[in-house]
Amino acid sequence: MNTGLTRKQRLVRSSVRSFCERELRPIAGEIDQEARFPWEVVEKMGRLGYFGIQAPKEFGGAGMDSLSYSIIIEEISRVSASVGLCVTVHNSVGLYPVLAFGSEDQKTRWAVPLARGEKIGAFCLTEPNAGSDARGIESTAVLKGDQFVINANKVFVTNGGVADICLIFVKTGVPGGAVKVSVVVAERGTPGFVVGDLEDLCGMRANPVSSIRLYDCAVPESNLLGRDGDGLKIGLAALDAGRMGIAAQAVGIGQGALEESLRYGKQRRQFGVPIEKHQAIQMMLADMATQVDASRLLVYRAAGLRDRGEPFSQAAAMAKLYASEASCRVTDMAVQIHGGYGYSKAYAVERYYRDARVTRIYEGTSEVHRMVIFRGLLGK
Amino acid sequence: MGLHFVVCIKSVIMEPPEGDIVRSEELLQLNPYDRPAVEAALRLREIRGGTVTTLSMGPEAGNAALAETLAMGADRGILLCDPAFKGSDTLATSTILAAGIRRLAPFDLILFGTRTADSDTGQVGPQTAVSLDIPMVTGVHSMEFMGADLQVERRMDEFIGKYLVTLPAALSVSLRSFVPGDIGLEAIEAAFEKKALETWDLNDLGLSPEMTGDAGSPTRVISMTKVKKDRTCELLRGAPAEQANELVARLKKSGML
Repeated sequence: MNTGLTRKQRLVRSSVRSFCERELRPIAGEIDQEARFPWEVVEKMGRLGYFGIQAPKEFGGAGMDSLSYSIIIEEISRVSASVGLCVTVHNSVGLYPVLAFGSEDQKTRWAVPLARGEKIGAFCLTEPNAGSDARGIESTAVLKGDQFVINANKVFVTNGGVADICLIFVKTGVPGGAVKVSVVVAERGTPGFVVGDLEDLCGMRANPVSSIRLYDCAVPESNLLGRDGDGLKIGLAALDAGRMGIAAQAVGIGQGALEESLRYGKQRRQFGVPIEKHQAIQMMLADMATQVDASRLLVYRAAGLRDRGEPFSQAAAMAKLYASEASCRVTDMAVQIHGGYGYSKAYAVERYYRDARVTRIYEGTSEVHRMVIFRGLLGK
Repeated sequence: MGLHFVVCIKSVIMEPPEGDIVRSEELLQLNPYDRPAVEAALRLREIRGGTVTTLSMGPEAGNAALAETLAMGADRGILLCDPAFKGSDTLATSTILAAGIRRLAPFDLILFGTRTADSDTGQVGPQTAVSLDIPMVTGVHSMEFMGADLQVERRMDEFIGKYLVTLPAALSVSLRSFVPGDIGLEAIEAAFEKKALETWDLNDLGLSPEMTGDAGSPTRVISMTKVKKDRTCELLRGAPAEQANELVARLKKSGML
């Protein structure tokens, strides 16, 4: 397996890194503490193409490959996982399903402004009583004339507080008939579209994760994405793409925590020497670097498969499972190396530690991923 | 028809590893001092139109930095690459760059960074200008067209010097004067799509081997060793007054007071 990056991919990495170091690093701690969405940086990212990474050029995107996408998400998350989350969710489960399942008209209406970063996308699946079990959703869309009337209660919507174009998973079909899950797009500003309070979360605090509720919200019938009943298919395809993004995000968090720890190991002196001279610290740094690298290689493999048009679902699931769990171990060690200061908001590793935790939960929990991987082993 | 701007750039190693240095692409990057020169050329092109060509001497890996200048907005990139160029000192490098620039004629303005981040001599720009027999102003921080001429400013200690330069001419551009914008993803895609990189070798430049590489270099690097900083930190203890007395005593003893 060739894991070397191409010249273009290396330029992608260095240019995104340089942008994030200059624009995002100085505010990364503050936007976490203030739970503030950094519009000033996000707008610049939109102009640089970060909101349409893989979208074809004719729809306003940069037309890049999956590996470049993974690199970009890693680099943003290395500095601010909350902003990395905004970008990966927007690209992979907001924009991608529109490109993959949308009609030409829908792509023009939604994909173009999404890819240019003029509008932000969100994926609204989870409900108070349904998450991993997508069939268990209770939201509905009923066709009345040429409009869908949606009633939905969606929670933990990433980008919820700022999203303009929302993919709403709903039940369609007639009462008593077969249960169909479909995706209907609702745009912010439509009567009945209500953004709920922001969630007060442990990490990813600069992302406006919120609930979105739709009360008799009527949208044109042409807002149905794909066909009636395609919801699970769209959801699974979106989550395959989404998993790679979350895995890349976990790599970025781990890399960021590793770099902070290496720096701290040189600065902090105990027993007359920098703590990096102590074998106990060296062991942890070696383990952290190995696990971050292993995670990165799993992500690159999944991205490479996708770029070659081969099945990548299993590889993406393994990458997401491993990278998310590794990022929790790595950030835990980072806090340990920093000692009491690592438990303080004065040091960035405290934020990395909180941000890492949710990567094991969202876009499929570790447990769901193990189920998916096991089914893959059976060839089902 | 516009003007022809040529920017000479170098791929440098920012973080040298221990032991022998292999100039691999992973270690190389565009010399940070060259970025303002590229940016200045792009801004002048905005005003007067024309083309920006970037030029670099070095191994094949140097194409990465040239590709980056295309993503920044340059029109064309030329790598001057030949086994005979290996070991070139600043004079031989200037000879090679000047030959490349002559081949790019007609040209109007040749731009350089003030120095390189790895070898730090600042000699290549001026030597190239001498070789081309064109005027040069170094360390320029602003430039403005005055008719067909270019008015430039450079800072020297407490003074600002203003010069009116008739083209063709050469300039080196100070580091903080022309800050390049961020490179967008579409620009990166476009840079690799337009296939605007070329490689020229010894024959293309019409040079003979004794003018380049080790043979054409009057200077030799004999050794390069890392400077060890023997700085230690010692904490003075006791009440503040005692610490101050101890500090003064030590400074006196060391002859610093």
